[in-house]
Amino acid sequence: MRETIDFLLNGAPVSVAGPDGWLMLSEFLRRRRALTGTKVVCAEGDCGSCAVLVGRLESGRVVYRSIASCIAQLIQLDATHVVTVEALRDPGELNAFQESMAREHGAQCGFCTPGFVVATQGLMEAGEPVDSERARRGLTGNLCRCTGYDAIVSAVVGTDAERMRPVGERFPDADVMPALEKWATESVLVRDGRRSQFKPVSVDEATAYLADPSGSAAASNGSNGTGHGAEPATLLSGGTDLGVVHNKTGEMSDRLVYLGGVAGFDDVSVERGEDGRSWMVVGAGVTLHRFQREMAEHLPDFVEFMEWFGSPPIRHGGTLAGNLCTASPIGDTLPAMHVLGAEMELASDGAKRTVPIEAFHTGYRMTVLRPGEIVTAIRVPLPGPGEHLRLMKVSRRKDMDISTVSAAFFFAFDGDVLSDVRVAFGGVAGTVERAAAVEAVLEGRPATLERFEEAAVVAEAAYTPMTDVRGSAAYRKALCRNLVLKLWHQIDAGRFAGRGVEA
Amino acid sequence: MSAVGRDIQHDSARTHVTGESVFLDDRAPLSGELLAGVVPSPCAHGRVVRVDVAAALQVPGVHAVMTAGDIRGHNRFGPVVHDEDLIAEEVAVFLGQPVALIAAESDTALRAGVAAVAVEMEELAPILDIDAAIEAGSFLGEERTIACGDLEAGFAAADGVVEGAVEIGGQEQFYLESQVAIAIPGESGQMQVLSSTQHPSEVQALVAEALGVPFHLVTCECKRMGGAFGGKETQAAPPAMMAALLAKRTGRAVRFRYGKDDDMRFTGKRHPFKSFYRAGYTRDGVLTALDVRLYSNGGCSTDLSAAVLERAMLHSDNTSFIPNVRVRARICKTNLPSNTAFRGFGGPQGVASTEHVLHEVAVATGLDPLDVRRANCYGVGERNVTPYGQIVTHNTLPELFDTLRDESGYDARRAEVDAFNGESRTQLRGLAISGVKFGISFTRRTLNQANALVNIYLDGSVMVSTGATEMGQGVNTRVRQVVADGLGVDYDRVIVAVTSTDKNNNTSPTAASSGTDLNGAAALEACNQLRARLAGVAAEMLAEPDTGLAAEPEAMVFADGVVRDQRRPGREVRFEEVVTNAYEQRVSLGERGFYATPGIEFNRATGKGVPFRYFTTGAACSEVLIDRFTGEMVVTRLDLIMDLGRPINPGIDRGQVIGGYVQGMGWCTTEELVYGDDGRLLSYSPTTYKIPAITDLPPICNVRFLDAPDHPISLHGSKAVGEPPLLLGLSAWLAAKDALRYVLPGNERKLALPATGEAILLAMESAPRGVAGRTQE
Repeated sequence: MRETIDFLLNGAPVSVAGPDGWLMLSEFLRRRRALTGTKVVCAEGDCGSCAVLVGRLESGRVVYRSIASCIAQLIQLDATHVVTVEALRDPGELNAFQESMAREHGAQCGFCTPGFVVATQGLMEAGEPVDSERARRGLTGNLCRCTGYDAIVSAVVGTDAERMRPVGERFPDADVMPALEKWATESVLVRDGRRSQFKPVSVDEATAYLADPSGSAAASNGSNGTGHGAEPATLLSGGTDLGVVHNKTGEMSDRLVYLGGVAGFDDVSVERGEDGRSWMVVGAGVTLHRFQREMAEHLPDFVEFMEWFGSPPIRHGGTLAGNLCTASPIGDTLPAMHVLGAEMELASDGAKRTVPIEAFHTGYRMTVLRPGEIVTAIRVPLPGPGEHLRLMKVSRRKDMDISTVSAAFFFAFDGDVLSDVRVAFGGVAGTVERAAAVEAVLEGRPATLERFEEAAVVAEAAYTPMTDVRGSAAYRKALCRNLVLKLWHQIDAGRFAGRGVEA
Repeated sequence: MSAVGRDIQHDSARTHVTGESVFLDDRAPLSGELLAGVVPSPCAHGRVVRVDVAAALQVPGVHAVMTAGDIRGHNRFGPVVHDEDLIAEEVAVFLGQPVALIAAESDTALRAGVAAVAVEMEELAPILDIDAAIEAGSFLGEERTIACGDLEAGFAAADGVVEGAVEIGGQEQFYLESQVAIAIPGESGQMQVLSSTQHPSEVQALVAEALGVPFHLVTCECKRMGGAFGGKETQAAPPAMMAALLAKRTGRAVRFRYGKDDDMRFTGKRHPFKSFYRAGYTRDGVLTALDVRLYSNGGCSTDLSAAVLERAMLHSDNTSFIPNVRVRARICKTNLPSNTAFRGFGGPQGVASTEHVLHEVAVATGLDPLDVRRANCYGVGERNVTPYGQIVTHNTLPELFDTLRDESGYDARRAEVDAFNGESRTQLRGLAISGVKFGISFTRRTLNQANALVNIYLDGSVMVSTGATEMGQGVNTRVRQVVADGLGVDYDRVIVAVTSTDKNNNTSPTAASSGTDLNGAAALEACNQLRARLAGVAAEMLAEPDTGLAAEPEAMVFADGVVRDQRRPGREVRFEEVVTNAYEQRVSLGERGFYATPGIEFNRATGKGVPFRYFTTGAACSEVLIDRFTGEMVVTRLDLIMDLGRPINPGIDRGQVIGGYVQGMGWCTTEELVYGDDGRLLSYSPTTYKIPAITDLPPICNVRFLDAPDHPISLHGSKAVGEPPLLLGLSAWLAAKDALRYVLPGNERKLALPATGEAILLAMESAPRGVAGRTQE
């Protein structure tokens, strides 16, 4: 058991103990290391000014991806290599993208600029030129208020990719990997007074600790008498939600358990279920980015939809399990997982169970997870031939926004007749659940406009959404109705007729 | 080689991209430095019953807590009218107004200290929006009027009249670097203030007044801002004042920084407006009369609201010559943080109102909106008098409209849009061209002055300082270019010093697009004087009486780092040698230049005069695509053309133009300020307040400048660029209206600004039969 958080920072080892272990990465960089190229604007992962690259072990090498350092707890960086903008210039000169940015007037006030430099480095790690479409898609997590982005896109496109050295060339894997590999096998417990953070490396270690922290090696020192069960631990996965809560309220659980280091949580596999269907088994530590990639050959529609989930740095950090456990009605993976019929695999000290997702979510930000219980994997059934998944998201801004209303439709065709219809909406009730009334109108009926108009009216009437900052109740009701109609128009346009999963 | 006119990189480009550029909060804390914060009023309007700070003072790490009674100088402040309490004394007038200030050693102690202050308020009913203020008669100042012609005759000559009201939303500046200041107490009562401000002189003055000391004891400096957009013109002052008050109180350096949420909740924004209009037009779409009543939501105090209102009035013509006009306008007093400057400064709101009217006229007459705009456009040599009496000279508007129509393929695309909207059941397209004619000069005449200090050092290197502040717009780069050419030295031989009130006094804010015009001209004036002196020295050095070359200062030419005698090719001396020689001869190598914009005069009482030195003009064509099921809209193509004269730095100007357009587009589309009934801002962070993201940049973006038109008015024939392009973002709003008119003619008039997806869908939904996504038969 290690009692420090250890990682590499721009190639050099860093070891953190005591109260500093509770700093967000951005604060640590700025205040403890004077690495002020990393800026903090929103402190909620929405602007990208705090972007840093994090190198993690993946299939025998170190892969660097941008994350939002303002919402990253230091313990999440244990056993990684953190690279900041300060380490990205070439010796004595600007790197190819920096040169291009300066030339193209991609920086005006300069506050967002380091974040763009970091994010673009991540985008160009493959060493290939980036076209304007990829530049746009890759930089949705970075806000700029001055340039209107045109010069930035030009700067990315105009970068000499061959001159753009990947991080691995600056910091060879041979130097980085030994430390990361060693640290990755060690569980971590850091303490500050009565506060503790625990990073287990196995499911058993995690569940044992959660069941009885005082009985394990990771004993709380109990200075104020908080013994076993006094305060349930907070489970931390990608931290894209908890980090925001921490920054905005100053509150953080006294007992934090970070599950990202558990061996096997990164695994993704496809297996044949008893129903003859293929199921993707997604480990609880699998990021949204990885999940999106893994889904590419199975569910193209889901992959496209995931482009509008947060932004690259959020998808690099956030996990599918985290999104489902946060159980927000505007969690973007929820409607899809509900209509697909995903299953949650749970574990507690000495016990395991599998819960269908409809039963997993019990209310606004509530799940069936018992104290001491964790999600170990999510089993996602993949649509077979003739089955279709259609996902929709409506938000104020297309990219990097939270849904006003989202919808997921699953259906199959028997000739012209719809079957196995499953519909779920997000953002219209306290939790995501299937819209049985809408399904009933469509199930076993031909896909006609009249039928969908009827279903649309039912969808509109089925919910009494609230008015909030993202939209009025009237707007949300209109969207429920119109998204059903939009589906019909997509079917009518022949996108689904008689074919397998849309290619 | 001349520096002016070249596409030189931004002054700080290379340190921006490496992360080396130092912003104020990047500075390491000084020894003993404290962090400052406020105890915010919990309600938008309330009587302060009790503020008990005793418990807060006991919090470990808290060093000072101040309430209104602790201020020795002025607690009441404001840039023009002193009508806002820095710390609420008897009545808090907006949610978040400080009721106490705290200085503490750490964020944690600060948070604990703030929580420990007991605040008891007696809540009063707040007034939050324009309608409520009008009903309650809650105003700041009197109604203003600008008028011309004969309104009655204008309406009598009309073939038709459009009438209605349009609401125009506010906008958060969303500079990325939130408000921040550091106050460092010095000896003998001095106070050094480092501030992220567009207006160091005002910060200096307001800090001095708050401390109750003479101005000369306070210096304010600003190296750079991480964006400002008007939001740091006046509202950088309170953080600086609060830091200084606490620094004086504790004798320690104090840093005040707002987090983004608090910055958005507690500082002012672009003024929301409501326009009530009535306009007469001929069947050819020509306006014969315009009667407008504008109301702005000023928030709790005057701040810059009077000037913002005035600029809105002065832009109620925009590109249209209207013979008979009456614009009346008034500021509503509400319980919001005082609304303030934001790029465009009232101009965008005045223009939005009139462009809405023109759209209405197009719908009413059945003419194409572009034909209506063109028919009303200011003429060259005729139809060229504004409602306030200024003659529009050097008018390129007709050329801009016609060129853009041609280059954007407007007419062919109009036909495409007609066909598309006739067929598609799922999407709508819209197309619009709008123009801008933006008046350049502060409408407050006094502010149109600047001074600049140019120092030449013995190695021939040059440092210039002005009152201009760098917020990304490139003013430092342009001033360097002007000075380099002014002394005939290489651009790299010149640097721009930190802006500071001890080098440049009584400066104007860097605002009104005038930063380069004013400060560049002042710097050039200093260079001219220096050059005249150095010419005398150089003339002596180059003189060769034996060969008939007498010392002739007039013949000296400064360029390329040398001084040449133009009478004899090859006869030259290096600039550094002239400088050294001048020093030896005890000739001053420093100079202060001063500039006051000539030819401007505006009578506020009559609403007549020449408020502007000139106009910056341009036009943009936006095309939008709307999802008929959700109302979601994207701008798919932009064609934009501007007349910027001969830009000092075309690359930087291009960045200003596209950045301005996109910011204006954001204001018109996704940026919505949503408040709760209690006056609480609900869209207070980028999670809920959506400025354009990179994917919102139109995928097709054709931007160009008119080819070097001759404008012998301003510095080196250039034109100010900061604000004007923002107003072209309105073409996106007008394109949304254009699209809606295909489904429900007349309904698009309900589309307020911003045209969010919700606003667009609900406008479509208000059709007689409620299922959107189907063409109305």
